[in-house]
Amino acid sequence: MGAYRADEDYDYLFKVVLIGDSGVGKSNLLSRFTKNEFSLESKSTIGVEFATRSIRVDDKVLKAQIWDTAGQERYRAITSAYYRGAVGALLVYDVTRHVTFENVERWLKELRDHTDANIVVMLVGNKADLRHLRAVSTEETTNFAEREKTFFMETSALESLNVESAFTEVLTQIYHVVSKKALEIGDDPAALPKGQTINVGSRDDASAVKKDGCCSA
Amino acid sequence: MKNDHNNNNNNSAEHSKDTTVGILDSRFNQTLRNVQGLLKGRNIPGKILLSQRVESPDYTSLSSPTYIRSSSYSETGTSDQTSETEEVHSTSKPFGIPNDNKLKISASNVESSSEEVRKSSMGARATDSARVMKFTKVLSETMVKLEKLREFSWSGVPDYMRPTVWRLLLGYAPPNSDRREGVLKRKRLEYLDCVSQYYDIPDTERSDDEINMLRQIAVDCPRTVPEVSFFQQQQVQKSLERILYTWAIRHPASGYVQGINDLVTPFLVVFLSEYLEGGIDNWSMSDLSSDEISNIEADCYWCLSKLLDGMQDHYTFAQPGIQRLVFKLKELVRRIDDPASNHMEEQGLEFLQFAFRWFNCLLIREIPFHLVTRLWDTYLAEGDALPDFLVYISASFLLTWSDKLQKLDFQEMVMFLQHLPTKNWTQQELEMVLSRAFMWHSMFNNSPSHLAN
Repeated sequence: MGAYRADEDYDYLFKVVLIGDSGVGKSNLLSRFTKNEFSLESKSTIGVEFATRSIRVDDKVLKAQIWDTAGQERYRAITSAYYRGAVGALLVYDVTRHVTFENVERWLKELRDHTDANIVVMLVGNKADLRHLRAVSTEETTNFAEREKTFFMETSALESLNVESAFTEVLTQIYHVVSKKALEIGDDPAALPKGQTINVGSRDDASAVKKDGCCSA
Repeated sequence: MKNDHNNNNNNSAEHSKDTTVGILDSRFNQTLRNVQGLLKGRNIPGKILLSQRVESPDYTSLSSPTYIRSSSYSETGTSDQTSETEEVHSTSKPFGIPNDNKLKISASNVESSSEEVRKSSMGARATDSARVMKFTKVLSETMVKLEKLREFSWSGVPDYMRPTVWRLLLGYAPPNSDRREGVLKRKRLEYLDCVSQYYDIPDTERSDDEINMLRQIAVDCPRTVPEVSFFQQQQVQKSLERILYTWAIRHPASGYVQGINDLVTPFLVVFLSEYLEGGIDNWSMSDLSSDEISNIEADCYWCLSKLLDGMQDHYTFAQPGIQRLVFKLKELVRRIDDPASNHMEEQGLEFLQFAFRWFNCLLIREIPFHLVTRLWDTYLAEGDALPDFLVYISASFLLTWSDKLQKLDFQEMVMFLQHLPTKNWTQQELEMVLSRAFMWHSMFNNSPSHLAN
């Protein structure tokens, strides 16, 4: 992993999930972000996969623990277990296949059923490099994103377009939510221990993070 | 170690839970050129992965008439039993069971089970041709004795006999040789009928669910064994699509589930090896007539059906069969290797996080493709007992890295287990996994009660 090797010294550990229809490029977005790699031979994800990367925001190190999930509907019973404790989500569709955008609404509902209301959601229109095949307009998604109050970005894992920004934006937003929460809580030092998992959600974190839980909403 | 088995079963529901750019050879260059053609004029940042299969000799042997032997049983010969026992001890140092039990086990259970090992290794110890003769003899009988065939097949089937043997082991071809041809002919026609009835119809005649399913299958076929270039041929992907869709339509309780595409591939390469010469790298579907393709697809379809009949609830909603196996695996590992098990638990590692894919794809994704057919010889020899035995194979597979795992933290473990370093595995490593699984199965399965304490 070289320069991308996860830094053990982090201030915050955020759990993020990658969801969306099958074949939209979730796994390649993840490998692009965590390893700067893109595979032309990627296989379908079975169950869940996992990778991490730390980034720096302000003077803080944010470590993202990213769970990549299988896209097929049949797997939702399994994968939804991984939503628990997630504080951020990238909901991915393929800009060249309209049906994957149509399903975004179902994914969003799924997400909201299983996570805390404060979860930071970013809609990601992947495969933006395939300009001549585009089937979902930027405008269409922008409207949807405004209505649903989610963030939105178009990416290309292949060309490494906006991938970094999309993940960084999600992590930064989570960080803001958490810092704001810290402000609301006031100066209670116990409210936000450093270097621990942040649970925006109210349920126990099932993700088996080393040091368990802290601030529950 | 004081786990009550029944108690734990109650929890099972809750448990729902190289970057190598290979050496460039001509084929690789060709693929690369194709890809470059695809991406022409574009500037792609970072690493583009296009890995290459490791070795080709094993592919070449797919249809070669000489049996390449590499059963660890055979190679270790008489020292088999001792080395196996040592292996068990070293992998599971503290063992997690009281000492006297351990003695009892090695004195009795292993003894009796090693009878079988000895029996099958008797032949394997002899020359390859003797082994081939053994199979030839069983197969030449008017009424094939399936029990014998299972026993021989467990340690590997000679490549060129594999199509015949697999059809028999799965109960697709009848053991009675007089009836065999007729049955296969009828079954192949039946498949053809199914294809024209379900697959070769316009989308307007399909329900929304069926359209979705076909779409899902179409998304997955090009992503099936992508590291083997043969599977990139369009006709191969079309065959896969027809087999999978027909199977899914005829099995509505589960329908198509991602990963079942992987399960067709061993059948496909084995049945193709009856028709195509040389190694898989030189195979071309266009050398086959449409009748031949249809027969091969039919064999794949029926064998897939037979295989999955024994695992019906592995692919139904929430996949309870797989969850059950994941749970059993966790329990078994706890009994075999307490330190490793404790470490995983302390780190909060869930077995579901890695073993789900193992069971869902029957380990195909975890080992190099050229070893898969050998692994499946054992699977098919196990027959109805396969799901249970899979738990032992998985435990043996996992604990190959027992020491390594204990040095890793949660995140490192998850990532390690999702990309296991098996890329350079040969049959030898696989045989070791299978032998150990066999040992543990003999020890633990025959005596579940005294292990519970």
